[in-house]
Amino acid sequence: MAMWRCLRVSWRTLRFIGAYTRANLLAAMEYRSAFAMQVVTMTANDSLWLFFWWNFFRQFPLTNGWQITDIVILWAVSACGFGISVGIFGNTENLARLIMTGGLDAYLSMPRYALLHVSIAATDPTAWGDVLFAVGAFLLLVHPGLEQVALFVLLVMLVALIFTAFHALLGSLAFFLGNTEGLLQPIRGALISFSTYPMNIFHGVVRLLLFTLMPAGFISFVPLLLLRHYSWWLLLGLIGATGVFVGLAMGLFALGLRRYESGNLIGMQA
Amino acid sequence: MEMIVQAARRPIARRLWLSMRKYWAVMRVSIASNLAYVYEVVFRALSLLIIVFILSQLWKTTFSLRGSHTLSGFSMTDMIWYLVAAETFALSAPPLTDRIDQEVRSGQLAYLLGRPCSYVLYHFAQYTGERFVRLVMNAAVGAMLALVIAGVPHLSWMGLLAWPLALFLALCIDFVVYFAIGLLAFWTENTHAFSFIYSRLTLVLGGVLAPIEIFPQPIQAIARALPFSAILYGPARTLVHFTSTAFFALLMQQLTMLMAGSLLLALLYLVVMQYVNINGG
Repeated sequence: MAMWRCLRVSWRTLRFIGAYTRANLLAAMEYRSAFAMQVVTMTANDSLWLFFWWNFFRQFPLTNGWQITDIVILWAVSACGFGISVGIFGNTENLARLIMTGGLDAYLSMPRYALLHVSIAATDPTAWGDVLFAVGAFLLLVHPGLEQVALFVLLVMLVALIFTAFHALLGSLAFFLGNTEGLLQPIRGALISFSTYPMNIFHGVVRLLLFTLMPAGFISFVPLLLLRHYSWWLLLGLIGATGVFVGLAMGLFALGLRRYESGNLIGMQA
Repeated sequence: MEMIVQAARRPIARRLWLSMRKYWAVMRVSIASNLAYVYEVVFRALSLLIIVFILSQLWKTTFSLRGSHTLSGFSMTDMIWYLVAAETFALSAPPLTDRIDQEVRSGQLAYLLGRPCSYVLYHFAQYTGERFVRLVMNAAVGAMLALVIAGVPHLSWMGLLAWPLALFLALCIDFVVYFAIGLLAFWTENTHAFSFIYSRLTLVLGGVLAPIEIFPQPIQAIARALPFSAILYGPARTLVHFTSTAFFALLMQQLTMLMAGSLLLALLYLVVMQYVNINGG
Protein backbone atom coordinates (compact mmCIF):
# COMPACT_ATOMS: atom_id res chain seq x y z
CA MET A 1 0.00 0.00 0.00
CA ALA A 2 2.79 2.39 0.97
CA MET A 3 4.64 1.44 -2.20
CA TRP A 4 1.57 2.20 -4.32
CA ARG A 5 1.14 5.57 -2.61
CA CYS A 6 4.81 6.39 -3.15
CA LEU A 7 4.52 5.53 -6.85
CA ARG A 8 1.42 7.70 -7.18
CA VAL A 9 3.13 10.69 -5.53
CA SER A 10 6.20 10.24 -7.75
CA TRP A 11 4.03 10.09 -10.87
CA ARG A 12 2.12 13.22 -9.84
CA THR A 13 5.39 15.05 -9.13
CA LEU A 14 6.81 14.06 -12.51
CA ARG A 15 3.63 15.27 -14.23
CA PHE A 16 3.88 18.53 -12.30
CA ILE A 17 7.50 19.02 -13.39
CA GLY A 18 6.60 18.04 -16.97
CA ALA A 19 3.74 20.55 -17.11
CA TYR A 20 5.96 23.39 -15.89
CA THR A 21 8.79 22.44 -18.27
CA ARG A 22 6.40 22.46 -21.19
CA ALA A 23 4.91 25.81 -20.17
CA ASN A 24 8.36 27.35 -19.68
CA LEU A 25 9.53 26.04 -23.02
CA LEU A 26 6.47 27.39 -24.82
CA ALA A 27 6.98 30.77 -23.13
CA ALA A 28 10.64 30.83 -24.22
CA MET A 29 9.61 29.90 -27.75
CA GLU A 30 7.24 32.84 -27.91
CA TYR A 31 10.21 34.71 -29.41
CA ARG A 32 11.06 31.88 -31.76
CA SER A 33 14.06 33.32 -33.58
CA ALA A 34 15.63 34.62 -30.34
CA PHE A 35 15.16 31.18 -28.78
CA ALA A 36 16.69 29.42 -31.78
CA MET A 37 19.58 31.89 -31.78
CA GLN A 38 20.28 31.26 -28.07
CA VAL A 39 20.24 27.49 -28.53
CA VAL A 40 22.50 27.62 -31.58
CA THR A 41 24.88 30.05 -29.86
CA MET A 42 25.28 27.83 -26.81
CA THR A 43 25.80 24.74 -28.97
CA ALA A 44 28.44 26.60 -30.97
CA ASN A 45 30.12 27.82 -27.77
CA ASP A 46 30.35 24.32 -26.27
CA SER A 47 31.55 22.89 -29.58
CA LEU A 48 34.28 25.51 -29.80
CA TRP A 49 35.60 24.64 -26.31
CA LEU A 50 35.45 20.94 -27.03
CA PHE A 51 37.25 21.44 -30.34
CA PHE A 52 40.05 23.21 -28.47
CA TRP A 53 40.38 20.66 -25.67
CA TRP A 54 40.07 17.70 -28.03
CA ASN A 55 43.09 19.00 -29.98
CA PHE A 56 44.91 20.03 -26.81
CA PHE A 57 44.71 16.60 -25.21
CA ARG A 58 45.68 14.97 -28.49
CA GLN A 59 48.91 16.98 -28.44
CA PHE A 60 49.44 16.80 -24.65
CA PRO A 61 47.89 13.50 -23.56
CA LEU A 62 47.58 12.74 -19.85
CA THR A 63 48.78 9.43 -18.45
CA ASN A 64 46.97 6.86 -16.26
CA GLY A 65 44.73 5.42 -18.97
CA TRP A 66 43.56 8.81 -20.29
CA GLN A 67 41.83 8.38 -23.66
CA ILE A 68 41.07 11.10 -26.17
CA THR A 69 37.29 10.41 -25.98
CA ASP A 70 37.40 11.07 -22.22
CA ILE A 71 37.33 14.81 -22.78
CA VAL A 72 34.18 14.37 -24.88
CA ILE A 73 32.54 12.35 -22.11
CA LEU A 74 33.52 14.96 -19.48
CA TRP A 75 32.00 17.75 -21.55
CA ALA A 76 28.94 15.76 -22.66
CA VAL A 77 27.97 14.63 -19.14
CA SER A 78 28.66 18.03 -17.53
CA ALA A 79 26.93 20.05 -20.26
CA CYS A 80 23.89 17.75 -20.44
CA GLY A 81 23.53 17.60 -16.65
CA PHE A 82 23.88 21.37 -16.37
CA GLY A 83 21.52 21.91 -19.32
CA ILE A 84 18.79 19.73 -17.80
CA SER A 85 19.28 21.36 -14.40
CA VAL A 86 19.01 24.91 -15.73
CA GLY A 87 16.42 24.00 -18.38
CA ILE A 88 14.01 22.32 -15.95
CA PHE A 89 14.99 23.71 -12.55
CA GLY A 90 16.14 27.07 -13.92
CA ASN A 91 14.75 29.19 -11.11
CA THR A 92 17.06 27.61 -8.51
CA GLU A 93 19.75 30.03 -9.65
CA ASN A 94 17.44 32.91 -8.62
CA LEU A 95 16.70 31.48 -5.17
CA ALA A 96 18.96 33.92 -3.28
CA ARG A 97 17.28 36.91 -4.94
CA LEU A 98 13.80 35.53 -4.24
CA ILE A 99 14.66 35.04 -0.58
CA MET A 100 16.04 38.56 -0.29
CA THR A 101 13.08 40.21 -1.99
CA GLY A 102 10.39 38.17 -0.25
CA GLY A 103 9.60 36.41 -3.51
CA LEU A 104 8.95 33.04 -1.86
CA ASP A 105 5.54 34.17 -0.57
CA ALA A 106 3.73 33.14 -3.72
CA TYR A 107 5.12 29.60 -3.49
CA LEU A 108 4.67 29.07 0.24
CA SER A 109 0.93 29.47 -0.02
CA MET A 110 0.72 26.74 -2.69
CA PRO A 111 -0.01 23.08 -1.88
CA ARG A 112 3.14 21.81 -3.65
CA TYR A 113 6.55 21.45 -2.00
CA ALA A 114 7.93 25.00 -2.07
CA LEU A 115 11.56 24.30 -3.07
CA LEU A 116 10.50 22.15 -6.01
CA HIS A 117 7.87 24.66 -7.05
CA VAL A 118 10.32 27.59 -6.93
CA SER A 119 12.96 25.63 -8.83
CA ILE A 120 10.80 24.68 -11.79
CA ALA A 121 9.11 28.07 -12.17
CA ALA A 122 11.60 29.36 -14.77
CA THR A 123 13.93 28.13 -17.46
CA ASP A 124 17.06 29.39 -19.18
CA PRO A 125 16.59 28.86 -22.94
CA THR A 126 20.35 28.56 -23.55
CA ALA A 127 20.32 25.36 -21.47
CA TRP A 128 18.71 23.48 -24.35
CA GLY A 129 21.77 24.35 -26.43
CA ASP A 130 23.93 22.59 -23.84
CA VAL A 131 21.70 19.52 -24.04
CA LEU A 132 21.74 19.53 -27.83
CA PHE A 133 25.53 19.82 -27.87
CA ALA A 134 26.01 17.09 -25.26
CA VAL A 135 23.78 14.55 -26.97
CA GLY A 136 25.32 15.28 -30.36
CA ALA A 137 28.92 15.10 -29.09
CA PHE A 138 28.28 11.87 -27.16
CA LEU A 139 26.58 10.10 -30.04
CA LEU A 140 28.86 11.35 -32.82
CA LEU A 141 32.27 11.23 -31.14
CA VAL A 142 32.02 8.42 -28.58
CA HIS A 143 29.97 6.01 -30.74
CA PRO A 144 28.26 4.41 -27.73
CA GLY A 145 26.36 1.13 -27.63
CA LEU A 146 22.74 0.93 -26.44
CA GLU A 147 23.76 0.14 -22.85
CA GLN A 148 26.08 3.16 -22.77
CA VAL A 149 23.29 5.40 -24.09
CA ALA A 150 20.94 4.17 -21.37
CA LEU A 151 23.63 4.67 -18.74
CA PHE A 152 24.38 8.16 -20.10
CA VAL A 153 20.70 9.11 -19.69
CA LEU A 154 20.66 7.88 -16.11
CA LEU A 155 23.95 9.61 -15.29
CA VAL A 156 22.95 13.00 -16.68
CA MET A 157 19.73 12.85 -14.61
CA LEU A 158 21.81 12.29 -11.48
CA VAL A 159 24.26 15.02 -12.48
CA ALA A 160 21.34 17.40 -13.12
CA LEU A 161 20.08 16.71 -9.60
CA ILE A 162 23.54 17.39 -8.14
CA PHE A 163 23.77 20.70 -10.04
CA THR A 164 20.27 21.67 -8.87
CA ALA A 165 20.97 20.68 -5.27
CA PHE A 166 24.23 22.66 -5.32
CA HIS A 167 22.43 25.74 -6.67
CA ALA A 168 19.70 25.33 -4.04
CA LEU A 169 22.29 24.96 -1.26
CA LEU A 170 24.07 28.12 -2.39
CA GLY A 171 20.79 30.01 -2.80
CA SER A 172 19.57 28.94 0.66
CA LEU A 173 22.64 30.57 2.21
CA ALA A 174 20.81 33.86 1.64
CA PHE A 175 18.48 32.91 4.53
CA PHE A 176 21.48 33.12 6.87
CA LEU A 177 23.98 35.47 5.21
CA GLY A 178 21.75 38.02 3.49
CA ASN A 179 22.50 39.16 -0.04
CA THR A 180 24.94 36.59 -1.42
CA GLU A 181 24.23 36.97 -5.15
CA GLY A 182 27.62 38.51 -5.98
CA LEU A 183 29.44 35.73 -4.16
CA LEU A 184 27.38 32.89 -5.65
CA GLN A 185 28.13 33.64 -9.29
CA PRO A 186 31.86 32.77 -9.16
CA ILE A 187 31.15 29.68 -7.04
CA ARG A 188 28.61 28.39 -9.57
CA GLY A 189 31.15 29.12 -12.31
CA ALA A 190 33.81 27.26 -10.35
CA LEU A 191 31.71 24.10 -10.22
CA ILE A 192 31.29 24.17 -14.00
CA SER A 193 35.00 24.90 -14.54
CA PHE A 194 36.19 22.12 -12.25
CA SER A 195 33.74 19.68 -13.88
CA THR A 196 35.13 20.16 -17.37
CA TYR A 197 38.78 19.37 -16.59
CA PRO A 198 40.32 15.92 -16.04
CA MET A 199 40.51 14.92 -12.38
CA ASN A 200 44.12 13.72 -13.00
CA ILE A 201 45.39 17.29 -12.73
CA PHE A 202 44.07 17.85 -9.18
CA HIS A 203 45.70 16.37 -6.09
CA GLY A 204 45.47 16.29 -2.30
CA VAL A 205 43.12 18.70 -0.58
CA VAL A 206 41.75 20.03 -3.86
CA ARG A 207 40.70 16.54 -4.92
CA LEU A 208 39.03 16.03 -1.53
CA LEU A 209 37.14 19.31 -1.97
CA LEU A 210 35.95 18.18 -5.39
CA PHE A 211 34.14 15.26 -3.77
CA THR A 212 32.70 17.23 -0.85
CA LEU A 213 32.16 20.99 -0.85
CA MET A 214 32.43 21.39 -4.63
CA PRO A 215 30.99 18.15 -6.06
CA ALA A 216 32.69 18.36 -9.46
CA GLY A 217 34.09 14.85 -8.98
CA PHE A 218 30.57 13.40 -8.89
CA ILE A 219 29.53 15.50 -11.88
CA SER A 220 32.17 14.43 -14.35
CA PHE A 221 34.79 12.06 -12.95
CA VAL A 222 32.53 9.32 -11.52
CA PRO A 223 30.25 9.30 -14.62
CA LEU A 224 33.40 9.05 -16.77
CA LEU A 225 34.59 6.02 -14.79
CA LEU A 226 31.14 4.44 -15.04
CA LEU A 227 30.93 4.93 -18.78
CA ARG A 228 34.41 3.46 -19.19
CA HIS A 229 34.11 0.49 -16.78
CA TYR A 230 30.65 -0.07 -15.38
CA SER A 231 30.43 -1.00 -11.72
CA TRP A 232 27.30 -1.42 -9.60
CA TRP A 233 29.13 -0.17 -6.51
CA LEU A 234 30.24 3.00 -8.22
CA LEU A 235 26.72 3.63 -9.52
CA LEU A 236 25.28 3.09 -6.05
CA GLY A 237 27.93 5.46 -4.71
CA LEU A 238 26.88 8.14 -7.19
CA ILE A 239 23.19 7.63 -6.38
CA GLY A 240 24.05 7.86 -2.67
CA ALA A 241 26.07 11.06 -3.18
CA THR A 242 23.20 12.56 -5.21
CA GLY A 243 20.81 11.65 -2.40
CA VAL A 244 23.07 13.29 0.16
CA PHE A 245 23.31 16.55 -1.82
CA VAL A 246 19.56 16.66 -2.49
CA GLY A 247 18.87 15.90 1.18
CA LEU A 248 21.26 18.63 2.30
CA ALA A 249 19.63 21.14 -0.05
CA MET A 250 16.15 20.27 1.24
CA GLY A 251 17.35 20.37 4.86
CA LEU A 252 19.06 23.74 4.53
CA PHE A 253 16.04 25.19 2.72
CA ALA A 254 13.70 23.93 5.48
CA LEU A 255 16.01 25.33 8.15
CA GLY A 256 16.27 28.64 6.36
CA LEU A 257 12.50 28.94 5.95
CA ARG A 258 12.22 29.35 9.72
CA ARG A 259 14.19 32.58 9.38
CA TYR A 260 12.34 33.75 6.28
CA GLU A 261 10.51 37.05 6.56
CA SER A 262 7.59 37.61 4.24
CA GLY A 263 7.85 40.48 1.81
CA ASN A 264 4.04 40.84 1.84
CA LEU A 265 4.23 40.50 -1.90
CA ILE A 266 1.07 39.85 -3.79
CA GLY A 267 1.97 37.52 -6.63
CA MET A 268 0.22 35.31 -9.09
CA GLN A 269 1.51 31.89 -10.02
CA ALA A 270 0.06 30.02 -12.96
CA MET B 1 23.62 84.59 -28.35
CA GLU B 2 26.88 86.38 -27.60
CA MET B 3 28.05 83.39 -25.58
CA ILE B 4 27.40 81.05 -28.50
CA VAL B 5 29.35 83.29 -30.84
CA GLN B 6 32.20 83.46 -28.31
CA ALA B 7 32.19 79.68 -27.93
CA ALA B 8 32.40 79.28 -31.71
CA ARG B 9 35.39 81.67 -31.81
CA ARG B 10 37.37 79.63 -29.27
CA PRO B 11 40.47 77.99 -30.71
CA ILE B 12 40.08 74.34 -31.71
CA ALA B 13 42.59 73.17 -29.09
CA ARG B 14 40.60 74.93 -26.35
CA ARG B 15 37.32 73.42 -27.56
CA LEU B 16 38.92 70.02 -27.72
CA TRP B 17 40.26 70.42 -24.22
CA LEU B 18 36.83 71.40 -22.88
CA SER B 19 35.28 68.44 -24.67
CA MET B 20 37.91 66.08 -23.22
CA ARG B 21 37.19 67.39 -19.72
CA LYS B 22 33.54 66.47 -20.21
CA TYR B 23 34.38 62.83 -20.97
CA TRP B 24 37.06 62.78 -18.28
CA ALA B 25 34.33 63.72 -15.81
CA VAL B 26 32.12 60.87 -17.09
CA MET B 27 35.04 58.46 -16.65
CA ARG B 28 35.71 59.71 -13.12
CA VAL B 29 32.06 59.21 -12.17
CA SER B 30 32.18 55.71 -13.66
CA ILE B 31 35.29 54.85 -11.62
CA ALA B 32 33.74 56.27 -8.44
CA SER B 33 30.46 54.40 -8.89
CA ASN B 34 32.31 51.13 -9.48
CA LEU B 35 34.47 51.67 -6.43
CA ALA B 36 31.28 52.15 -4.42
CA TYR B 37 30.46 48.49 -5.12
CA VAL B 38 33.99 47.27 -4.55
CA TYR B 39 32.86 43.96 -3.00
CA GLU B 40 31.12 43.06 -6.23
CA VAL B 41 34.37 43.69 -8.10
CA VAL B 42 36.28 41.58 -5.57
CA PHE B 43 33.78 38.70 -5.89
CA ARG B 44 34.20 38.88 -9.66
CA ALA B 45 37.96 38.60 -9.22
CA LEU B 46 37.31 35.25 -7.47
CA SER B 47 36.51 33.78 -10.90
CA LEU B 48 40.00 34.75 -12.02
CA LEU B 49 41.53 32.96 -9.02
CA ILE B 50 39.65 29.78 -9.80
CA ILE B 51 40.36 29.73 -13.54
CA VAL B 52 44.05 30.57 -13.15
CA PHE B 53 44.36 27.91 -10.44
CA ILE B 54 42.78 25.23 -12.66
CA LEU B 55 44.88 26.18 -15.68
CA SER B 56 48.05 26.27 -13.57
CA GLN B 57 47.33 22.70 -12.42
CA LEU B 58 46.78 21.65 -16.01
CA TRP B 59 50.06 23.20 -17.16
CA LYS B 60 51.98 21.83 -14.19
CA THR B 61 50.81 18.34 -15.15
CA THR B 62 51.62 18.96 -18.82
CA PHE B 63 55.13 20.23 -18.04
CA SER B 64 55.86 17.32 -15.71
CA LEU B 65 54.57 14.73 -18.24
CA ARG B 66 56.69 16.29 -20.97
CA GLY B 67 59.68 16.28 -18.64
CA SER B 68 60.84 19.64 -19.96
CA HIS B 69 61.29 23.03 -18.30
CA THR B 70 60.05 25.07 -21.24
CA LEU B 71 57.41 24.77 -23.95
CA SER B 72 57.99 26.98 -27.01
CA GLY B 73 60.17 29.22 -24.85
CA PHE B 74 57.68 29.50 -21.98
CA SER B 75 58.77 28.25 -18.56
CA MET B 76 56.18 27.32 -15.94
CA THR B 77 56.62 30.73 -14.26
CA ASP B 78 56.18 32.54 -17.59
CA MET B 79 53.09 30.46 -18.29
CA ILE B 80 51.39 31.33 -14.99
CA TRP B 81 52.12 35.05 -15.40
CA TYR B 82 50.93 34.88 -19.02
CA LEU B 83 47.65 33.27 -17.86
CA VAL B 84 47.18 35.93 -15.17
CA ALA B 85 47.82 38.73 -17.69
CA ALA B 86 45.40 37.24 -20.23
CA GLU B 87 42.66 36.43 -17.69
CA THR B 88 43.01 39.85 -16.05
CA PHE B 89 41.91 41.45 -19.30
CA ALA B 90 39.45 38.73 -20.37
CA LEU B 91 37.48 38.85 -17.12
CA SER B 92 37.29 42.64 -16.92
CA ALA B 93 34.80 43.31 -19.71
CA PRO B 94 31.66 45.22 -18.63
CA PRO B 95 28.32 44.20 -20.20
CA LEU B 96 28.45 46.97 -22.82
CA THR B 97 26.38 45.20 -25.49
CA ASP B 98 23.54 44.50 -23.04
CA ARG B 99 23.57 48.15 -22.00
CA ILE B 100 23.37 49.52 -25.56
CA ASP B 101 20.77 46.87 -26.45
CA GLN B 102 18.65 47.95 -23.47
CA GLU B 103 18.96 51.65 -24.33
CA VAL B 104 17.88 51.01 -27.91
CA ARG B 105 14.90 48.86 -26.89
CA SER B 106 13.71 51.06 -24.04
CA GLY B 107 14.08 54.27 -26.05
CA GLN B 108 16.52 55.71 -23.50
CA LEU B 109 18.85 56.23 -26.46
CA ALA B 110 16.75 59.21 -27.53
CA TYR B 111 17.18 60.80 -24.11
CA LEU B 112 20.97 60.27 -24.21
CA LEU B 113 21.22 61.68 -27.72
CA GLY B 114 19.80 64.95 -26.44
CA ARG B 115 22.76 65.50 -24.13
CA PRO B 116 25.54 67.88 -25.15
CA CYS B 117 28.00 65.08 -25.75
CA SER B 118 28.60 62.30 -28.24
CA TYR B 119 26.63 59.13 -27.49
CA VAL B 120 29.57 56.94 -28.52
CA LEU B 121 32.23 58.88 -26.60
CA TYR B 122 30.00 59.11 -23.52
CA HIS B 123 29.79 55.32 -23.48
CA PHE B 124 33.49 54.99 -24.21
CA ALA B 125 34.36 57.13 -21.18
CA GLN B 126 31.94 55.18 -18.97
CA TYR B 127 33.19 51.84 -20.29
CA THR B 128 36.86 52.77 -19.83
CA GLY B 129 36.27 53.85 -16.23
CA GLU B 130 34.42 50.65 -15.38
CA ARG B 131 36.95 48.43 -17.08
CA PHE B 132 39.85 50.26 -15.44
CA VAL B 133 38.55 49.44 -11.95
CA ARG B 134 38.03 45.78 -12.89
CA LEU B 135 41.45 45.55 -14.54
CA VAL B 136 43.25 46.94 -11.50
CA MET B 137 41.37 44.64 -9.12
CA ASN B 138 41.92 41.57 -11.32
CA ALA B 139 45.60 42.40 -11.78
CA ALA B 140 46.10 42.77 -8.01
CA VAL B 141 44.33 39.49 -7.19
CA GLY B 142 45.96 37.64 -10.11
CA ALA B 143 49.45 38.91 -9.25
CA MET B 144 49.09 37.70 -5.67
CA LEU B 145 48.03 34.25 -6.86
CA ALA B 146 50.84 34.10 -9.42
CA LEU B 147 53.40 35.07 -6.78
CA VAL B 148 52.18 32.23 -4.56
CA ILE B 149 52.04 29.59 -7.34
CA ALA B 150 54.95 30.58 -9.56
CA GLY B 151 57.08 33.09 -7.67
CA VAL B 152 58.61 36.32 -8.93
CA PRO B 153 58.44 36.69 -12.74
CA HIS B 154 61.30 37.72 -15.00
CA LEU B 155 59.66 40.74 -16.56
CA SER B 156 61.57 43.35 -18.52
CA TRP B 157 60.98 47.04 -17.80
CA MET B 158 60.16 47.54 -21.49
CA GLY B 159 57.45 44.89 -21.25
CA LEU B 160 56.04 46.56 -18.16
CA LEU B 161 55.93 49.93 -19.93
CA ALA B 162 54.52 48.59 -23.21
CA TRP B 163 51.82 46.41 -21.59
CA PRO B 164 49.43 49.27 -20.60
CA LEU B 165 49.53 50.67 -24.14
CA ALA B 166 48.78 47.25 -25.68
CA LEU B 167 46.00 46.76 -23.11
CA PHE B 168 44.48 50.16 -23.85
CA LEU B 169 44.37 49.46 -27.59
CA ALA B 170 42.85 46.03 -26.92
CA LEU B 171 40.24 47.73 -24.71
CA CYS B 172 39.42 50.15 -27.54
CA ILE B 173 39.02 47.28 -30.04
CA ASP B 174 36.73 45.45 -27.62
CA PHE B 175 34.68 48.63 -27.15
CA VAL B 176 34.22 49.15 -30.87
CA VAL B 177 33.10 45.54 -31.44
CA TYR B 178 30.75 45.33 -28.44
CA PHE B 179 29.25 48.74 -29.20
CA ALA B 180 28.62 47.80 -32.83
CA ILE B 181 26.97 44.53 -31.71
CA GLY B 182 24.77 46.49 -29.29
CA LEU B 183 23.56 48.72 -32.15
CA LEU B 184 22.34 45.60 -33.97
CA ALA B 185 19.38 45.78 -31.53
CA PHE B 186 17.78 48.03 -34.16
CA TRP B 187 17.29 44.93 -36.32
CA THR B 188 17.54 41.79 -34.17
CA GLU B 189 15.57 40.49 -31.19
CA ASN B 190 18.64 39.45 -29.24
CA THR B 191 22.14 40.87 -29.51
CA HIS B 192 23.45 38.92 -26.51
CA ALA B 193 24.02 35.87 -28.70
CA PHE B 194 26.41 37.82 -30.96
CA SER B 195 28.42 39.28 -28.09
CA PHE B 196 28.54 35.86 -26.45
CA ILE B 197 30.00 34.23 -29.56
CA TYR B 198 32.47 37.10 -30.05
CA SER B 199 33.67 36.80 -26.43
CA ARG B 200 34.06 33.01 -26.75
CA LEU B 201 36.00 33.32 -30.01
CA THR B 202 38.24 35.89 -28.33
CA LEU B 203 38.79 33.58 -25.35
CA VAL B 204 39.44 30.34 -27.19
CA LEU B 205 41.26 31.61 -30.28
CA GLY B 206 42.66 34.74 -28.64
CA GLY B 207 45.00 32.83 -26.36
CA VAL B 208 43.43 32.96 -22.92
CA LEU B 209 44.22 29.30 -22.21
CA ALA B 210 47.79 29.31 -23.50
CA PRO B 211 50.16 31.31 -25.70
CA ILE B 212 49.33 30.72 -29.35
CA GLU B 213 52.73 29.18 -30.17
CA ILE B 214 51.84 26.30 -27.82
CA PHE B 215 48.39 25.75 -29.35
CA PRO B 216 47.96 22.39 -31.04
CA GLN B 217 47.42 22.29 -34.79
CA PRO B 218 45.10 23.10 -36.55
CA ILE B 219 43.98 25.58 -33.86
CA GLN B 220 47.32 27.39 -33.98
CA ALA B 221 46.96 28.02 -37.71
CA ILE B 222 43.36 29.21 -37.26
CA ALA B 223 44.28 31.49 -34.32
CA ARG B 224 47.16 33.06 -36.24
CA ALA B 225 44.93 33.74 -39.25
CA LEU B 226 42.24 35.47 -37.16
CA PRO B 227 42.55 38.88 -35.45
CA PHE B 228 41.49 37.77 -31.93
CA SER B 229 45.10 37.31 -30.80
CA ALA B 230 45.58 41.10 -30.80
CA ILE B 231 43.18 41.35 -27.85
CA LEU B 232 44.47 38.76 -25.35
CA TYR B 233 47.58 37.00 -26.59
CA GLY B 234 49.38 40.09 -27.88
CA PRO B 235 49.21 42.21 -24.71
CA ALA B 236 49.86 39.24 -22.37
CA ARG B 237 52.89 38.17 -24.40
CA THR B 238 54.15 41.74 -24.43
CA LEU B 239 54.27 41.64 -20.64
CA VAL B 240 55.85 38.21 -20.26
CA HIS B 241 58.07 37.90 -23.35
CA PHE B 242 58.73 41.39 -24.65
CA THR B 243 60.51 41.76 -27.97
CA SER B 244 60.43 45.06 -29.83
CA THR B 245 59.72 43.35 -33.19
CA ALA B 246 56.69 41.47 -31.83
CA PHE B 247 55.48 44.59 -30.00
CA PHE B 248 55.57 46.81 -33.07
CA ALA B 249 53.87 44.11 -35.14
CA LEU B 250 51.18 43.93 -32.44
CA LEU B 251 50.75 47.72 -32.45
CA MET B 252 50.31 47.69 -36.22
CA GLN B 253 47.77 44.88 -35.97
CA GLN B 254 45.84 46.61 -33.18
CA LEU B 255 45.84 50.01 -34.91
CA THR B 256 44.70 48.47 -38.19
CA MET B 257 41.89 46.61 -36.42
CA LEU B 258 40.90 49.70 -34.48
CA MET B 259 40.78 51.93 -37.55
CA ALA B 260 38.82 49.40 -39.60
CA GLY B 261 36.46 48.73 -36.68
CA SER B 262 35.95 52.43 -35.96
CA LEU B 263 35.14 53.09 -39.61
CA LEU B 264 32.57 50.29 -39.66
CA LEU B 265 31.11 51.49 -36.36
CA ALA B 266 30.83 55.05 -37.68
CA LEU B 267 28.99 53.80 -40.77
CA LEU B 268 26.68 51.64 -38.66
CA TYR B 269 26.03 54.54 -36.31
CA LEU B 270 25.10 56.83 -39.20
CA VAL B 271 22.69 54.21 -40.53
CA VAL B 272 20.96 53.52 -37.20
CA MET B 273 20.59 57.24 -36.42
CA GLN B 274 18.24 57.45 -39.38
CA TYR B 275 15.92 55.07 -37.56
CA VAL B 276 15.71 57.25 -34.44
CA ASN B 277 12.66 59.46 -34.04
CA ILE B 278 12.68 61.91 -31.14
CA ASN B 279 9.39 63.48 -30.18
CA GLY B 280 9.76 66.18 -27.59
CA GLY B 281 7.21 67.03 -24.96
